[in-house]
Amino acid sequence: MTAPMHPAMPKVQETLTNAPMLAAWRAEGALALQRCADCATVVFFPRSVCPHCWSTRLDWFRATGTGRIVSFSVIHRGLPEAFQADAPIVLAEVALAEGVPMIARVAAPDVGAVRSGMAVRLVPRDEAARYPLPTFAPA
Amino acid sequence: MRDVGIIGYGSSVYEKKASRTEMSYMAEAARAALASAGLAKADVDGISTSSTTLAPDNAVTAAEYLGLTVSWASVSNAGGAGGPVNVLDAVRAVEAGRASAVLCLAGAAQDGAFFRDRIGRFNRSIADYLAPHGCGGVNGLFGIVQRKHMETYGTTRRQLGRIAVDQRANARANPAALLRAAMTIDDYLAAPVVADPLGLYDCVMPCSGAEAILVGPLDRAPAGKGVRVKAGRECHNHPAGEVSPIRGGWETFREALYDEAGFGPDAMQFVQAYDDYPIMVAIQLEDLGFCAKGTVGPFLASRSVTFDGDLPVNTGGGQLSCGQTGGGGGMIGLTEAVRQLRGEGGARQVPGARRGLVSGYGMVAYGHGLSSSALVLEAA
Repeated sequence: MTAPMHPAMPKVQETLTNAPMLAAWRAEGALALQRCADCATVVFFPRSVCPHCWSTRLDWFRATGTGRIVSFSVIHRGLPEAFQADAPIVLAEVALAEGVPMIARVAAPDVGAVRSGMAVRLVPRDEAARYPLPTFAPA
Repeated sequence: MRDVGIIGYGSSVYEKKASRTEMSYMAEAARAALASAGLAKADVDGISTSSTTLAPDNAVTAAEYLGLTVSWASVSNAGGAGGPVNVLDAVRAVEAGRASAVLCLAGAAQDGAFFRDRIGRFNRSIADYLAPHGCGGVNGLFGIVQRKHMETYGTTRRQLGRIAVDQRANARANPAALLRAAMTIDDYLAAPVVADPLGLYDCVMPCSGAEAILVGPLDRAPAGKGVRVKAGRECHNHPAGEVSPIRGGWETFREALYDEAGFGPDAMQFVQAYDDYPIMVAIQLEDLGFCAKGTVGPFLASRSVTFDGDLPVNTGGGQLSCGQTGGGGGMIGLTEAVRQLRGEGGARQVPGARRGLVSGYGMVAYGHGLSSSALVLEAA
């Protein structure tokens, strides 16, 4: 087990809508996404209504947890206290294998080696507890 | 129908730390707007606010604080795109007889620490799905956007730096700007990295102050001081479903905007574009047709955007050099445009300014600003 979550980490407000995603991440270090039962659109961030067809039948499924970096920023300054020990941190637009874009942190051991187009996957399960939301690492 | 437009404008003092309340800054800007129009407080019977920090107060409670009885009150929900939207709505309200003189207000009483605390709760998706990643205000989001533009089109930091450097030159002719130290392109490139590829001079400084625009029948403006709103548009949530687009809602209404105005980019003497980051000014120049999509880098490399340059942009220094007064950042371009069209630009007056474009951008949510707006203005 690596270091636990920083106590000052911003909290995600758990709601009826996002509870399955948070549970999958917290319990298994996995990424749960929603797919519309009516139009098959894959949705992130969690919603109660499909933004494509307005169906309310959104089913949860286990995503592969893989994707590619579309673009990214390496944040050096202005970070909240909980992130300063890790600075600089990488925030990226990740195109998930399921075809939906997501903005997520990429925990890269060598920040200077991060590139657009790079394949990423979720951090190992025993590191997930450090992060409040699904977090990636170079594949 | 009466010929309605902008008949007054005003700005409060700008301060790095708040010395008073947001309502107080707004009142100072409102006093200046009334004075510029030659109207009295009793003449105002409409009010609108496009402030992002006023809640739980709103336009109606602003009327209470300012002792105004009004027949029309409106609040924008478009963040930094709200100023142009509110002014357009005010013009339509006066045309429709809902009010005869509308005060449009925006501002904030804040500093950097206040802003950093607030931005993590700006809306639900930022609070729950971005702030827990440590996005560093929203600088990281715009770092993603800028890198995508650079890697897609070959845009360079040196090209984008033209915006920050020339706006600083404009600010040096504006005594009200908070950031007036000389800046060269080498200073810009050598500044500390904030959210790579963004450096310190790419990131707007939150501050305190307010802006005001007074809308009414143009025949109530002092002779030669009225400004006509030739056309205006807004667009929200475009492109739907993308998180870090390198285009925005302006591209959806550009043609209709210029068709309604009767003239286009070539006829403008200046542009006041929403400048939370130079990359967003660059995207507005593309999407509003000043250059083809993807060509803003070379476009900037061959131009000066100072007030006396070949395409004056943010002639008072913009938010990047004046500071961002919250939602007031969506109105600073409007007040500066009106100042220029009235010939009151002082040391930064654009020679022969008769027509100009003001564009807004705001309501940052999951990855980017959802709201875009623009007004085409002409000296009446």
